[in-house]
Amino acid sequence: MSERKSHEFPQLKLESIIGFNGRSPSGLIVHPDREHIVYHLGYVVIVENINTQEQTLLSGHHNDVSCLTVSKSGRYLASGQIIYMGFKADIIVWNYETKDIHCRFTLHKVKVQALDISPNDKYLLSLGGQDDGSVVLWNISAKEAICGSPAQAVTAGVTLCGKFANTSDLLFMTGGEYCLRIWDVDLKNRKVRPTEVNLGPYKRIVQCIAVEEDDSYFYCGTTTGDILCVTMKTSTLNVIGPQKKMFSRGVQSLILVKTGGHLELLVGAGDGTVAIVKDKSTKFQRTKNSHKLKGSIMSLSLRGAGHQFFVGTDTSNMYRFNYMEFTCKLLNTGHSSAVNDIIFPAGVPKLFLTCGAEQIRVWHTPSQKELLRIVVNNMTCNALDIAKDGSVIVSAWNDGRIRGYYPESGKIMYQIENAHNRGVTSIAFMSDAKRIVSGGGEGQVRVWEVSTGYTHKKDVIKTGLVESMKEHKGCVTQIKVFPTDQHCVSVSTDGTCIIWNLEKFQRDAVLFANTLFQCACIHPDCCQILTSGTDRNVAYWEVVDGLQIRSLEGAKSGSINALDISADGKYFITGGDDHLLKMWNYDEGNVIFVGIGHGGSIKRVKISPDQKFIISVGEDGAILHWAYPIKSES
Amino acid sequence: MPEKEYITNLLPKEETTQSKPLRYISKHRPQVAEEEKQSKRPAKTMGPAKMPVPSTKNYLKKHSKEPGLPEKKPFKYPDDERKRPPIPCKKDVPLMGLKSNKNFVTENALENVTAIPRKPTKIYCDTRKGDKHLLQPSGLEPNYVQKTNYGEVPPYLKKREEEMKKAQEQYDAYISEHVKQGAMKHLSEEERESILAGLKKNWEAVHHDYQGMSVVTDTIMKKNIKERLEMMMKQLERDIEIIERHKTIYIAN
Repeated sequence: MSERKSHEFPQLKLESIIGFNGRSPSGLIVHPDREHIVYHLGYVVIVENINTQEQTLLSGHHNDVSCLTVSKSGRYLASGQIIYMGFKADIIVWNYETKDIHCRFTLHKVKVQALDISPNDKYLLSLGGQDDGSVVLWNISAKEAICGSPAQAVTAGVTLCGKFANTSDLLFMTGGEYCLRIWDVDLKNRKVRPTEVNLGPYKRIVQCIAVEEDDSYFYCGTTTGDILCVTMKTSTLNVIGPQKKMFSRGVQSLILVKTGGHLELLVGAGDGTVAIVKDKSTKFQRTKNSHKLKGSIMSLSLRGAGHQFFVGTDTSNMYRFNYMEFTCKLLNTGHSSAVNDIIFPAGVPKLFLTCGAEQIRVWHTPSQKELLRIVVNNMTCNALDIAKDGSVIVSAWNDGRIRGYYPESGKIMYQIENAHNRGVTSIAFMSDAKRIVSGGGEGQVRVWEVSTGYTHKKDVIKTGLVESMKEHKGCVTQIKVFPTDQHCVSVSTDGTCIIWNLEKFQRDAVLFANTLFQCACIHPDCCQILTSGTDRNVAYWEVVDGLQIRSLEGAKSGSINALDISADGKYFITGGDDHLLKMWNYDEGNVIFVGIGHGGSIKRVKISPDQKFIISVGEDGAILHWAYPIKSES
Repeated sequence: MPEKEYITNLLPKEETTQSKPLRYISKHRPQVAEEEKQSKRPAKTMGPAKMPVPSTKNYLKKHSKEPGLPEKKPFKYPDDERKRPPIPCKKDVPLMGLKSNKNFVTENALENVTAIPRKPTKIYCDTRKGDKHLLQPSGLEPNYVQKTNYGEVPPYLKKREEEMKKAQEQYDAYISEHVKQGAMKHLSEEERESILAGLKKNWEAVHHDYQGMSVVTDTIMKKNIKERLEMMMKQLERDIEIIERHKTIYIAN
């Protein structure tokens, strides 16, 4: 409902998106025009020019995109999605030229597992997920379903992948858990008839299929880490290999490449190996060309005939490989999971910092490139802050530690152990960076002091607890320190927002609301604060007496997770679970701009220090860069 | 503890490529190009410069490049030009047999004996060793006191003074002349006297008329005449009195 209404407002201009959902198989495809790559992130499909990095967003899905395909001619894109249990998942066929929706097919339940378009752009093959278990053939030009059938035998598991033959529109293969089938299409009777491939003694889970150009054989990558070569005519297993040195964590993606007249297979494995193996005559013997990347290789895509290929990993990294030299270059990187916080160094709009699972990243705004990555394995960074002079990054981690980092080298400067016993959830520097205010999952707000000392003939950095303030009963979601350093405001999921005196370490005022507070921000004149939470309301509060001045309905659906106010105090921005970024007039309390583009909940939003752009981060790992719609007066 | 780090150092450094100065291009280039275009080339059309071919006789001779002796000169005494003509020979016959009886020896002796001795040049010595200097230009001898016109005003000054005086007089005369021209006219003594006499004569004539009037003024005519005469007399008396009272009278022009 809110989405329909949001179209009435002027829209914020989306400049670019950083992020890539690498977890779906073949989620990164090079378009046959060799100029563009197609990938998806959250609810949107992104078409990006490789050279200029110009992005076009295709939004039409109502939930996360799960699979993606591009037709051989490049005319059509098709994308499938996931949706909640009991709902039907959409498939959207996009017209590539006009970048709009060609047609929408809704039949599969819950999830579309895989898609493929026939070689002459006539038919679309779709596979349903675990809850659906069917294979459906669609006529693209007539925009209708031709026929459907259960994708696998009752005894088999989920069918994971499907692929059309190269020479016929009426022949395709599907593969999955203990099931590999070749299907013939009978258009007259609107039927598809499967033929089981006889694998003999082998039991394999097929994850990817690649078909030889003349359709004599096709190749399947398995979770076991070997490759099956199947003869199409007889539907029998021809070769299985490699016998030794199988790919650990399975063959996730497979591509056939013809170089110098003989066939080679490009393999992407679950352990991050990208390797070239020889053809079936040598039983897929490995060659010297092998490269190990971080994360597992989920997608491989050739650019043109194959002088270059692109690799997408589940850690949301995109690499470009040169086939001959087998060298790689990191093309694009993003957060692979939710981004929890974003900050700008004071007065430096060219840099911003984000944090999420295992990582803190420093980004360069003009080039959209990552400059620094700080990794702590298996931990999640919930919040971060940077000293006013930009000399320390302090971060709040879910293992209960506060970690301070050098901002250039990314080395650890200090670490406060057991800062909060249920994880540190929010953090803020006081203006001199000597003191840190942190909030934890158990509801305590603590003030820490960082000082330099001298022990063992070495200068060391010492940290110590100054005061622990126990008032909140729930997780402290955000802390903001007033510019005067005398007060700070903390919001908690227990429905309280407390203004603390940081000189006496006492509570000055407490604000109650029937909500789980998610965020707060302080008006630049320090007289009022804004809070919002799961009750979808944005509340204005007086700092002095803690009275509520005004309450606005910030969203029609979903909690508001992010708030930020412009430096002049005239506008503020909210973002939340409705995926909409809204810009409000502070005094009038009305929406003036709406930003549509997030494919997931918005976690945090920040206006750049120079008021030239807005950065919002989402649960899907996306970092969106919006133009600030109002020209600053200066 | 490592050095302090700042996040702004992460910003990629903007490469400032120093732009090279533009390649030198001669300003004569168009001219050269223009000349290049012309098909005639001076050296090619004119041929080599025409010069006389060196003679085969002037080949290089033996020892010609060695330094030679200086050229021979006839001997000459340095005082050859100052020398008097030689004394006549004993055998030489005097011209036309003339012979003088003058005894040069005695003549010369006498001349020298009778000659007024030359005064020695005046000198003075200023050091113990007897360094001599001329006395005349030193200022020690009174030269100018001896002069005949010593202490007199030089004639040029006199002449100058006279000229100045004359100029002053001329100037004064010119000024007074000028003032006179601009000033009011002065009534001279004679003119004054004559005016006064004239006025008195007029008064007497009027007075005579007045006395000759009838005693009784019974008519308006008589009365008018009497009043007119009295008026005239009074006016004349006033004029006479003014002129008598003032010795010098200026007439405004």
